[in-house]
Amino acid sequence: MKLAAVLLGGLMLAGAGPAVADDPAAGRKVANMCRTCHGLDGLAQIPIAPHIGGEPEEYLEAQLMAFKTGAREHEMMSVVAAGLSAQQISDVAAWYASHESRATLPEGVSVEDAPAACVSCHGATGISELLDAPNLAGEVNIYIDTQLKAFRTGRRTHEIMSDIAADMTDEEIRAVADWYGAVQLEIEMSE
Amino acid sequence: MTKTTLLPGLVLGTILAVPAVAQDNMDKLSNMQRTDATFTNIDQSGDRADALTGILEHINVPDGFEVSLYAVVPDARSMAVAPQGTVTFVGTRKDKVWSVVDRDRDRVADEVFDFAPSITFDVPNGPCFSPDGFLYIAERNRVLTFPAAEFFFEGPDPAVGTVVAKGELVPAEEESFNHTARVCRVGPDGKLYISLGQPHNVQPQDKLEMYDQIGIGGIIRMNTDGSGREVYTRGIRNSVGHDFNPANGDLWFTDNQVDGMGDDIPPGELNRQTEAGQHFGFPWTNARVEIPDYKDVERPEGVAFVEPQVEMQAHAADLGMSFYQGSSFPEKYQGGIFSAQHGSWNRTTPVGARVMFTALDEEGNAAGTEVFADGWLDESTGEYRGRPMDVAFLKDGSMLVSDDFAGAIWRIAYNPAPASE
Repeated sequence: MKLAAVLLGGLMLAGAGPAVADDPAAGRKVANMCRTCHGLDGLAQIPIAPHIGGEPEEYLEAQLMAFKTGAREHEMMSVVAAGLSAQQISDVAAWYASHESRATLPEGVSVEDAPAACVSCHGATGISELLDAPNLAGEVNIYIDTQLKAFRTGRRTHEIMSDIAADMTDEEIRAVADWYGAVQLEIEMSE
Repeated sequence: MTKTTLLPGLVLGTILAVPAVAQDNMDKLSNMQRTDATFTNIDQSGDRADALTGILEHINVPDGFEVSLYAVVPDARSMAVAPQGTVTFVGTRKDKVWSVVDRDRDRVADEVFDFAPSITFDVPNGPCFSPDGFLYIAERNRVLTFPAAEFFFEGPDPAVGTVVAKGELVPAEEESFNHTARVCRVGPDGKLYISLGQPHNVQPQDKLEMYDQIGIGGIIRMNTDGSGREVYTRGIRNSVGHDFNPANGDLWFTDNQVDGMGDDIPPGELNRQTEAGQHFGFPWTNARVEIPDYKDVERPEGVAFVEPQVEMQAHAADLGMSFYQGSSFPEKYQGGIFSAQHGSWNRTTPVGARVMFTALDEEGNAAGTEVFADGWLDESTGEYRGRPMDVAFLKDGSMLVSDDFAGAIWRIAYNPAPASE
C-alpha cells in the first residue's frame, strides 16, 4: 500500500486537508454536473470521457483534486473541478465508486495475452487492483492512448506511469489501448 | 516539412488490378501489397435501427420538410459526400471512418462499413473532398489523402498518400482528445484548409507565440501535397466547422466559447473571413466578451479583431456547417448556412442539439439566424436523444445530419405535400 501513502501525501500537499466524510447520496446530486459526459452511473456518454462508475474512490478523488489544483489539466475537467469544494469532490467520488463494474474479455481472447506491464495495477481485464489506479476496461482506445502519450510527454505525471510510458512507442501504446478498449464493461448502478 | 508519398502510377487500371497496401506506418505503400484487414459491418436493421426510428417523432422541422433515418453510424461526426454521391464518408472521434453507401439512391443507406480498415486511424474526425475526387482525412495529428476514394472504398486497402505526416500537424505535446477533432475543406483556391483547436479552455500565456506560429487556435491552409503551409485564420478557440461561400469564396466558420464564465456568456460564434490572416480575438475576446485571464495581456500590435457575424446561444456548441448549394429546398434557404449545435455539456439548463439556419444578404453578411430542426434534447428531463454534429447535402439537395450520440445519420428532405384534389 505504498501507493496509497503516496497518494494521500499528494492530497495533503494539494491542500485538500484531512479526509472528509463522504456521502454518496450527496454525490449523486453533484453528479448532475458530470452525467452529460460520464453518465449518472459512470458509463461514459461521449468518446473523450472515461468510464468512472465503479472506479476506486481514492483514484477519482485524487484526479478531481489534481484538476482543481492544476496538477492535471483538461479543457473541460479543469473548469468543472475548479467549481467543486473538497466535500463535493469526496461525495461525487463516493457516488461513482459505489457502483459495480464488471469486465469481460472478448471471445477467443486469453488473459495470458494481457499487456504485462499493466496487469499488476490495472488487471488483465482493466479492473483496478489498487486504490491509485483507474479501471481501464472498455475505455475508448483513443482515451487510453491519449493518457499514455500525456504521461510520455510530461503533460500528465505520475510516479509510476511517467516511467512506464516514457519508453513506449506509439505502436506499443496503441496495442495496450486496443487491449483494454476491446474489453466489454458493464456497470451496475447502486441504489 | 511534409511530403506527399502518393503511390506511383495512380492509374485506375493498375490500382483496380492490384489493390494497394495502406498500412498505418505507410512504409509498405510502394510495395503494392495486400493486407489481411477485414471490414466491420454495421447492421442497418434490428433493435438499434428501431430505437433510432423511435426518435423521429420528437424531431421538429419546418412545414413541408420530412425527417428520416438515413443510416445507423456509430459515433458519426464530420461528413464528406463523394462526388458521385454513392458513398458518404463519416469521421469519428475514435478510430474509424465509415463508408455510408447508397448505391440505389433510395436515400436510405444500403450498407455501412469501415473505410480503409488496414489503416490505424487516430481521431479521424474530418473527411473532405476535392472536386476531382481526392478524399482527405484530417486526424488528430496527421492528414492522409485517398485518390478516387469513391471507387476504392469497396476494398480494405485503398490507395493512400500522406499530406501531413504523423506528428507534424501539431507538436505531440499539444495533442489532446477533446479539442483535437479536425475538420477540413478544399477551398476555391484548391488549397486544403484544416482547423486546429487549441487544447485548453483558455491557453496559457507562455504558449501564445508558439500557437500563433503553428496555427493552433486557428485554421491553416496548405497545398494538397502538404507544401506551402501557412496560418490562414487566427484568434479562434476551437472551431469544428468551416465552409466556403460558393458565391464569393469567403471562409465561414463556427467557434466554441470559453467555459466557466457562466451559463449565458460568452456566445457561440459564426464568423466570416474575407482575407488571409484575419484575427478573431481569442484568447483576448470571445465575441464581445473579454476573457479575464487576458485582460492585462497586451494585444497583438496593429491587429483589429473581427467580430462574429452571428452570436449564437452560449454553450450550445456550434460545430459542423455547410452552405446550401442544392435546389430542392425552398428559395429562402438557397445560398444560406446550415450549422449543427451539438448541445451544452455543463450548462445549468441544457441548450442546443439542433440545426440552425443563417440567411445571408446581398453583401454576403449574415441576415438572421433561426432554428431549423430541433427535438434531439428532451427538455423535460434535460437528456439528449441525439446530438447533431455536422450537416452535409446529398446530390438531390436533401440534408444529412450526423449524430455522434445516437450513432445515426438523419436525413431532412423537402417533400411538399401534393395539392389536394
